[in-house]
Amino acid sequence: MSPVRTRGRSGAATVPVRLRARSGAALLLVSLAGLVAFCWPLLVAPGARIAQSTFAPWIFVLLLPLLLAVALAEVAEGGIDAKAIALLGVLGAVGAALRPLGTSVAGFEPMFFVLVHGGRVLGRGFGYLLGSVTMFASALITAGVGPWLPYQILGAAWVGFFAGCLPRRPRGRLEIAMLAAYGAVAAFLYGWLQNLGLWPFAGGMSSSISFHPGAPLTDNLGRFVAFDLATSLGFDLPRAVFTAILVAVTGRPVLLALRRAARRAAFEAPPGRRPADGRADGERPDHGNVDHERPQHGRADDGHVDGGRADQEQVDDGPVDGGRADHGPVGDGGTGDGR
Amino acid sequence: MTRRVHPGAWWLWALGLATAATRTTDPLLLLLVGAVTGTVVAVRRTDDPWARAYGMFLRIGLFVVVVRLVFGAVFAAQAPGTTLVTLPSVTLPSWMAGLRVGGPVTAEGLTVAGYDALRLATVLVCVGAANALAAPSRLLKSVPGALYEVGVAVVVAMTFAPQAVAHVRRVRDAQRLRGRADRGIRSLRRLAMPVLEGALDRSVQLAAAMDARGYGRTAAVPRARRRATAALVLGGLLAVCAGLYGLLDGQAPAALGTPVLLAGTVCAAAGLWLGGRRSPRTRYRPDPWALPEWVTGGSGVLAAAAMTVAGLIGTDGLRPVPGTVPGLPALPAAGVLVALAPVLLRRIRA
Repeated sequence: MSPVRTRGRSGAATVPVRLRARSGAALLLVSLAGLVAFCWPLLVAPGARIAQSTFAPWIFVLLLPLLLAVALAEVAEGGIDAKAIALLGVLGAVGAALRPLGTSVAGFEPMFFVLVHGGRVLGRGFGYLLGSVTMFASALITAGVGPWLPYQILGAAWVGFFAGCLPRRPRGRLEIAMLAAYGAVAAFLYGWLQNLGLWPFAGGMSSSISFHPGAPLTDNLGRFVAFDLATSLGFDLPRAVFTAILVAVTGRPVLLALRRAARRAAFEAPPGRRPADGRADGERPDHGNVDHERPQHGRADDGHVDGGRADQEQVDDGPVDGGRADHGPVGDGGTGDGR
Repeated sequence: MTRRVHPGAWWLWALGLATAATRTTDPLLLLLVGAVTGTVVAVRRTDDPWARAYGMFLRIGLFVVVVRLVFGAVFAAQAPGTTLVTLPSVTLPSWMAGLRVGGPVTAEGLTVAGYDALRLATVLVCVGAANALAAPSRLLKSVPGALYEVGVAVVVAMTFAPQAVAHVRRVRDAQRLRGRADRGIRSLRRLAMPVLEGALDRSVQLAAAMDARGYGRTAAVPRARRRATAALVLGGLLAVCAGLYGLLDGQAPAALGTPVLLAGTVCAAAGLWLGGRRSPRTRYRPDPWALPEWVTGGSGVLAAAAMTVAGLIGTDGLRPVPGTVPGLPALPAAGVLVALAPVLLRRIRA
């Protein structure tokens, strides 16, 4: 089927979005503020003025979109090349297309396995973007942009990000097991956090399982557990199990496919030193034809076609590499900032 | 043909009405806000698929009201008042805060829960109106420059998702023709792999097409501006975190709360704007912001302003006490009715 690749196997070649110190710091701060947006009912102190205001939950709904915009801009700050954007968009489309499949079964969220595998193979920066893009696109497609969207985007971004933070070493069965366990934990925490974010809206201030501003942490935690039992635990647990099973079942082929795609795209390959099959991305740049289907066995044939056109493609590649060379000084400037 | 109003104007209008709704619990005012959004959507909606969102959000709103009423009944706090019915009660263990489930249900408790739920439902209906009226793809055109790459990725995702759905259907049909089961988790693997492989293939083609058209290039950024952006963004985020701490902690000085939070927000937004300078783009056929946009957005802002002013000067009836008949205060009601203005714009042509 596909020829064996020997080059581009190092880790660096498969990281489409690098996070520099500055982006990392911005992500940390945004995540901190985001965590507060989820957990503030548990954190708020007795005398705080926010506790008396009925407008309090809306402060976070208004604040989070700006924080998310800043975080995404900072992740993209080093510049994302066209291959990474295309991969991001297409994987996001797969996740968004899979999402409606899940609404028929309680708590089943097929989107997460794309995030877990994508974050694992393509790194945490890409995972963060993938989670956000998938959630946002899915909300736009279903016209479901609501106050819950910033919370969902943040949660999905975390799922993708931490999938990229898992230890590099394990491969094979151990890797699948690790990812499945992570998928279960992530899916459960995602649902739990969403529920926590919903709590001040859903419970109101008038019932015994709604949060009481300023009550001791253990007291409010108990109330939240009761709220969680009453509302979403029946969804969260099946979701965790489903996600783990789905990640385990799809693990091997999906990881292979993503790794192959990442190698083929040769992210951050130095100019002029592309892997042998790097010219695959010099295929017919035909935008109008992108939805045209190609049988799986046809890929070897494409290789021949490309081989025949290689000379012509080389000329086309000129400006592309020139564009990338422009990045060089910018990147150096960035590390200078970090010092 | 009627020109489409800028999607940002619709969002401004809807968020203005939603802000107005958050500032009152008067059921008549809230129903008025809902009626205004319904009228505008009925007059201005298009035949696009997203125009059906309003009905969906209306159903979500009804669901919210029902759930809150059930919660209000089952998990009633011990509110004094007329007892309607007494449910069998259970006391939960102490690690769950020793709550009591069930017990007497009071009319006052249910009314408060109902007013609160109606407010949330109204906000959701306003957001649903924005979803139904604003074209999402055009909204994506106006993302700030710093989010250009992410915006492109979202556009790609939105374009490819219907194709991915069609692909899923095709692969499933093929599996069925081969006599394989199309249910269960194993079939999902057989379904997911061809879809994913197809998507990855397309991404390679798409990347080539985008590269050829110059996507993903960034302008050279002077070091000083880079540093300024970093300082604004990181400083702003730090201030936001400090402001949140000030809001949540009872002992913190008042100055650490809202002012610091606002300053941080402004800084972060400025950093976002400055960071957008690295990808200067010209726009093909930009959406104009002209009279219809000013009227649409402005009417929503006026509704919010009227409600806020009414709250500040202490108009009666914004928060009716349970057990009394709610009224319809004049100033906020007039403000909400102003938001009907987009209906009049129907005949304005470009």
